[in-house]
Amino acid sequence: MIAKIICYTLNGLEGVPVEVEADVNKGVPSYDMVGLPDTAVKESKERVRSALKNSGLLFPMNRITINFAPADLKKEGANFDLAIAVSLLKASEQLLGADVKDIVFLGELALTGDLRPISGLLPILISAKSHGFTRFIIPAENAEEARYLGDAEVYPAASLGDVVRHLVGTMPIPPLEMREFIPNLGRQSSADLKYVKGQPIARRALEIAVAGGHNLLMSGPPGTGKTMLARCLPTIMPDLTFDEALEITKIHSVAGILGETGIVSERPFRTPHHTATTVSMCGGGNRIVHPGEISLAHGGVLFLDELPEYKRSTLEALRQPLEDGVITVSRAGGTFTYPARFMLCASMNPCPCGNYGSTDRTCTCTPSEIRRYRKKISGPLLDRIDLQVEVDNVTYDDLTSDEMNEDSATVKARVDAARRIQRVRFEGLPINTNAEMGEREIQQFCRLTREGDKILRDAFDRMKLSARARARIVKVARTIADLDSSEDILPKHVFEAVSYRLYDKIG
Amino acid sequence: MVYSEEERAIIYYAALSGLDRRSCAAALRAPKDLASALTAEEREKTDAFLASLEKDGMFAFTVASDDYPESLKAIPDPPLVLYGAGNRALLKEKKFCIVGSRITPPWAEKVGKELSQTLSEHFAIVTGLAEGGDSAAIAGAIQSGNLISVLPCGLAECYPAAHAALKEKIRNGGLLLSEYLPHMQTAKYSFHARNRLLAGLSEGVLVLSAGERSGTLITASRALEYGRDVFALPYNLGVSQGAGCNDLIKKGAYLVTCAADILSCYGIEAREEQKADVTEDEERLLSLLRSRGEMHPAELASALGIKVYEISALLSSLEIKGLAVKSGGNKYSAV
Repeated sequence: MIAKIICYTLNGLEGVPVEVEADVNKGVPSYDMVGLPDTAVKESKERVRSALKNSGLLFPMNRITINFAPADLKKEGANFDLAIAVSLLKASEQLLGADVKDIVFLGELALTGDLRPISGLLPILISAKSHGFTRFIIPAENAEEARYLGDAEVYPAASLGDVVRHLVGTMPIPPLEMREFIPNLGRQSSADLKYVKGQPIARRALEIAVAGGHNLLMSGPPGTGKTMLARCLPTIMPDLTFDEALEITKIHSVAGILGETGIVSERPFRTPHHTATTVSMCGGGNRIVHPGEISLAHGGVLFLDELPEYKRSTLEALRQPLEDGVITVSRAGGTFTYPARFMLCASMNPCPCGNYGSTDRTCTCTPSEIRRYRKKISGPLLDRIDLQVEVDNVTYDDLTSDEMNEDSATVKARVDAARRIQRVRFEGLPINTNAEMGEREIQQFCRLTREGDKILRDAFDRMKLSARARARIVKVARTIADLDSSEDILPKHVFEAVSYRLYDKIG
Repeated sequence: MVYSEEERAIIYYAALSGLDRRSCAAALRAPKDLASALTAEEREKTDAFLASLEKDGMFAFTVASDDYPESLKAIPDPPLVLYGAGNRALLKEKKFCIVGSRITPPWAEKVGKELSQTLSEHFAIVTGLAEGGDSAAIAGAIQSGNLISVLPCGLAECYPAAHAALKEKIRNGGLLLSEYLPHMQTAKYSFHARNRLLAGLSEGVLVLSAGERSGTLITASRALEYGRDVFALPYNLGVSQGAGCNDLIKKGAYLVTCAADILSCYGIEAREEQKADVTEDEERLLSLLRSRGEMHPAELASALGIKVYEISALLSSLEIKGLAVKSGGNKYSAV
């Protein structure tokens, strides 16, 4: 008898349906698999055999053929185990009366018959739902991430035995209760701007960066709180919408780093170490392409501590995703596109020893060492970082000023207001924030007054700013004006924007 | 370029004969007629060398040349031959030296640049080619072209290599000098020897910055030996880049706060600086900076009762107007 079961595999972030066909025939006992299964799929033979036996079911001692369709797609991973087991049971007539049509079976089997969780469940469910499937049997441990699927029957099963009892109707599994999305539920990060001492200038830079979606570079001696400041970035970013959260969760699910909560409800903060390779940063792998750090940071912050210590090639690879918001990785197994719209926050020391520019400590680096250190960051990359700010090496926390002990919530309220202005401004355009403006949008939305224009000209003459710095200063000035709820870009906004150009001033 | 027989002889003995300095001097002192000292073969070699110099846009001049600076002749060990590239007429100008160590605070670089610009109206500015103080002096004087840069290596070389473009600029606008053959690399001693030329060429030396053991101090002490004036910028106590400057002032160097301090020593009257246009808020900020020295925007904000980011904007404006500079750690000072 022949049985046909639906299962899914992943191609990037897209689920692809795979039909598992089992044929159990009379003949010399054998067990063959066809349809391009990889090693992990072929090894499922032993897992399925033991799981059936240990669940009190019969492994058919006949001539067994398993086929995976479509035959031209490579089948990888262990998420076919459950589908294979069910198809065998069905084909060997052990599931009499059970309706398995249009149910998607997902899960890896343990030898005991227990179901193990799989990675990438949410993107699979979302794709399958869009293909018209509404009934799913999934591992119980994956239940949390399935709760946000909405409008579908999802049955979490703990073991193969549970699945069988559910299918034959002796002990049905109650369908999973769906849940509403609440942003920042069960927040794990404890960072908050109120714990940052002093740093009024860096605080302000964070606020502007988040308000306008600008990238940020912080420069300062070691131990001045650059990392602490960066960790506060997600806390002042706008709340995730459900669609954003779903997209982030899909990526995290594929990478297998989804936590217990089932959905990512706070903006990610990724801090890859500076030894990170280009592949780990951008994504890659042998045949299955795993999302890299920049995709895991999608919708959140990618923090690169000690920027010049990263490999140059790795940094250069960031340029294109910074521009496009997606990364396309091509491998032998295919071409995969992952979203990668993140905010880049980087930190660096002013020189290798860290004391350059300090008035009380002596810098022991030679000028050529300093030059070499700074040269590690290429001009084109620096071009994409709108805000460059120096971090204070002395805390001025003895000065009581409102700005210096604000908490994240207060700053976030201002950021949200500035974002609202931008949403209205870019209505109908494919961009959302000031940082994404191109030359045409700058012409349209960032008209400078004659006075403002003169200031910029003077600044160029006096400070030897590079020509390409102009667009960035104007964009930052636009964001500062938005924070000020000002329709026009006033001279004071331009002046302030000029003060956040640290590395343009150096020739 | 026309070279006299005497110059040829000196160039041959000093540069091509392979004699060391002492035996070369002895050979030249020997009672013979320099005009006919060279054999035909030696003369040919010298001419070939001079032709190759000319091809590379360089020239040589010797103690016997008309335009060999008198001030340099007055030092105990003047180089017999010097190589130059660029505007030779600058040799006859009055010269003033501005030097500083490679790590010079931003405010001192800015002051140095402005002093250099003002002084270059009256002097040819003599300096090196390094970062920091030298670069500040070059930046101030390059516009007027009244600039002599003395290298610690041959003129075909460049040290630091990153300043190759700057070197070309000076060759086109000012004058490059070196006492070494065109392709000689720097050596440990060549920096000291070059510093003696900086001091020897100039009527006075201004030290923009010098640590306690800075090479810049060698230039200053040579200047004292040669009887030239020494000037220095004053520094706050505890600023390591200024310890040498303060030391010089303690020992009797002129303390410099404006160009007039230097010009008056040479009987030149300084022009009145024109005042920049500042707003009321900026004026308040500036006077605070002037009275309290280096300050952080947070300190200024609490003193003036304005928000820190508004202070940033005002400071930026002052910076563009050239009235304030930013130093490390987000601090600003008035200039």
